[in-house]
Amino acid sequence: MKDRLEIVASGFGGQGVVRLGQVLGEAAVKEGLRVTMLKSHGTEMRGGYVRSQVVLSPKTIDSPMCENPDFFVALSSAAYNRFKDTVPQEGLILFDPAFVEEIDAKLPCAQRELPAKQLALDNFGRVIFSNSIALGAMARLLEGQLKKEGILESLLEIIPKFHQENRDAFEIGYNYMN
Amino acid sequence: MKRFLETGNFAITEGAILAGCRFFCGYPITPATELAEAMSKRLPQEGGVYLQAEDECAAMHLCIGASLGGMKSMTATSGPGFILYADPYGWALGCEMPLVVVNSGRVGPVSGITGAPGQGEFYLTRYPTQGGNFECITLAPNSAQEAMAMVVEAFYLSERFRMPITVLVDQLITDGFEDITVPESEEEMRQMGFKTWPRAFCAGPDFYPFTDDLDIPPVQMGSGAGGMCSDWTPTVEGYDIEEVDAHHKHAYRLIYKVRNHRDMFNHLYEKKFMDDDPELVVVSYGTPSRVVNTAVDQARARGLKVGALRLINLWPFPDEHFARKAKYLAVELNWDGQLVREVQRAATKDAEVHFLGSCGDLPTIPDLLENFEKLLKNQPLTRKGWELEAW
Amino acid sequence: MQYSSSALIQKYLRSRKIPSTACSGCGLGINHKVVVQAVDELGLGPADIIWGTSIGCAGRQTFGTWQGDGFAGTHGRVYAIARGLRIALPPEKKIICTVGDGDAFGIGLLHLIHCARSNVDMTIIVNDNLGYQSTGGQFGFTTPQGVKTDSSPYGMFEHNLMSEGMDVMHILKGAGATFLARHVAMDGPRAVESVKKAILNRGFSLVHMPYPCPTNFASRELGSRNQVNIYRWIKQRAKPLGQEDANTVWATGVWYDATDSRPEFSEHIWASVGKIRRTGAL
Repeated sequence: MKDRLEIVASGFGGQGVVRLGQVLGEAAVKEGLRVTMLKSHGTEMRGGYVRSQVVLSPKTIDSPMCENPDFFVALSSAAYNRFKDTVPQEGLILFDPAFVEEIDAKLPCAQRELPAKQLALDNFGRVIFSNSIALGAMARLLEGQLKKEGILESLLEIIPKFHQENRDAFEIGYNYMN
Repeated sequence: MKRFLETGNFAITEGAILAGCRFFCGYPITPATELAEAMSKRLPQEGGVYLQAEDECAAMHLCIGASLGGMKSMTATSGPGFILYADPYGWALGCEMPLVVVNSGRVGPVSGITGAPGQGEFYLTRYPTQGGNFECITLAPNSAQEAMAMVVEAFYLSERFRMPITVLVDQLITDGFEDITVPESEEEMRQMGFKTWPRAFCAGPDFYPFTDDLDIPPVQMGSGAGGMCSDWTPTVEGYDIEEVDAHHKHAYRLIYKVRNHRDMFNHLYEKKFMDDDPELVVVSYGTPSRVVNTAVDQARARGLKVGALRLINLWPFPDEHFARKAKYLAVELNWDGQLVREVQRAATKDAEVHFLGSCGDLPTIPDLLENFEKLLKNQPLTRKGWELEAW
Repeated sequence: MQYSSSALIQKYLRSRKIPSTACSGCGLGINHKVVVQAVDELGLGPADIIWGTSIGCAGRQTFGTWQGDGFAGTHGRVYAIARGLRIALPPEKKIICTVGDGDAFGIGLLHLIHCARSNVDMTIIVNDNLGYQSTGGQFGFTTPQGVKTDSSPYGMFEHNLMSEGMDVMHILKGAGATFLARHVAMDGPRAVESVKKAILNRGFSLVHMPYPCPTNFASRELGSRNQVNIYRWIKQRAKPLGQEDANTVWATGVWYDATDSRPEFSEHIWASVGKIRRTGAL
């Protein structure tokens, strides 16, 4: 585990941005890590973006701000454009092409596409499972930092309904990152 | 002990319950609403009462009433509600009623921005009511875990000093998630340094003694001791009186019971890289201090001789930390500069005092580092076109 | 109904505060006596009652007079303090608050209404001297129309809680009060009977008791501090309910009695908390 791992997720309200951060944070707590997660709210909810900023560390966390995120999960164009430049060269942007239409090819960091919305529609006929798909993808990307089982377990704890579908969605996302 | 990924609101709620709080009265206001909600769920489970008042002024008065009847009580709000506490805060100070007040700061003045952190109530927590002639105690944690600890501490201090204590936090603490450890037994509370103090009542006949002593229990209605308390200047027995001499005695107690017992809270600070006489001392409290700590780490890595001083106990102001000749930089979540004025007052005459403000967002690490470097090179601080030294 | 040197003072009040520092001829003492008499007739002792007081003449003059426990609130807030206190007090303890008209019907009206709304077991005695007399004599929210005060030199002409058929009692009844009565200070035993009922009601009770202020009120309106004039002036404007005439400002008697018709606040709260604690739900 790195000394400090920063994960930003941002999109519209209702996409499960806060829940995504919460699941990863909960999984980290299970592994005995220290966790902070800030969620933006209030006026930003309407029209703008929702953002969760997660910091994981084996040590006490000072700043809870993700100024240079290792991972940025972009779920809207507005969010992508607002935070893309904060991702350092060694960082990674995971974006859903259903929401982020235009990619800035000049960014120094890696950018990977995850068509979570489309995968959710194709496999379950419902968009709501795209969040679990994204978490599965993150589980793959975080391999070596956070345990896959811990993330899945936290996901099932935090989302008490549709356990089988969420498990399947998680695997779909995980395998998509191969 | 149990660990949770939870909000500061959760941490404060559990801290209050651990401290023996069984009465909460509030009024919905962002970002303290979820604290009230958590209380409404948890208190009945613990045999306590949650009430929602008609306004914040009433909310704190209801807490006073419950405390007057012997219950440990708490209220919570944000700036626009804290200002309505002015009236009951004064009553609780004057009548010496234990009570805990949580203020989750947001961006002001007035309603300002609801969902963003601010530190506009530094002086307001020193003078939360009119009239003067009192000292206040304000604790300002910088994390959810510490907020739990400071709420427990606030209940403890409020009983021993018999006065209201403010816990000053902000939206990042109350709404932000963190891994939080909650003790599950008295033994675990002791391990975590949580102290509690039982509620007792004053048996009289001297309900307002002319002394700076701690541990005089408060007046309690229904105790049958014939206790009296009012908004007037009291005699020793609690009668109202309009005499300067009696007022002087009462004021002495309200001021010096705190000033003469600084040892009760003067351990509440955090120092980082302060042992090697740093050229620049960054002073902050609350959430900005977390970014400051990271920035100071990075500054040291660059070889800059910077130290960090974080205040947890804001009032009475810990002057003793500013005796050394150095450059002081107050980093605050406001644009007008509040903490910096107090640093200027407390610092030795030949110290240099600077101010770096922001509001609604925490300062960024590059911004802090740039300003540390400027100060160490004796360059002025300018940012966003403002002359920031003009505080 | 002689007030001084009676057995009542020895039994219930503190010698240090009685006689009070009220102006000569003030009617507040009569109201105070009515309340203490009612307490005595109910067989209650100093420890049975927690006495709250407000700001202004009525509050200041009655604060610290009760031998038992007593507290005073700042302007208009004693109701909110008392509501919180009610939660912490054993149900058998009574709360009586002697307050003024400005405190109850002006600055404290919001808190008062919420006490009525939640049917808090307390008895509020509003000692109405028809305005703000302790600040020198300004009109209040029950000052009769046309009355001259320091802040109504042309005669009081604002709409208020007792003008044009309005009555503050309607507001309190609508808000949920379960016992309401009105008496002028000189109603004597009739007033005592109403206050007894008010105290016995396990819920929110209020007795509105206009009383004569010979100093500020009478000197401005009647041009005289002679207490006989102001006593007569008030008496002429008060008639028992059902016997009102064109001059009647205060219809006296039990205005509304719904004693024990609604669950009392603290009983209701504690019963609910107890049930949640036992079963996890309501």
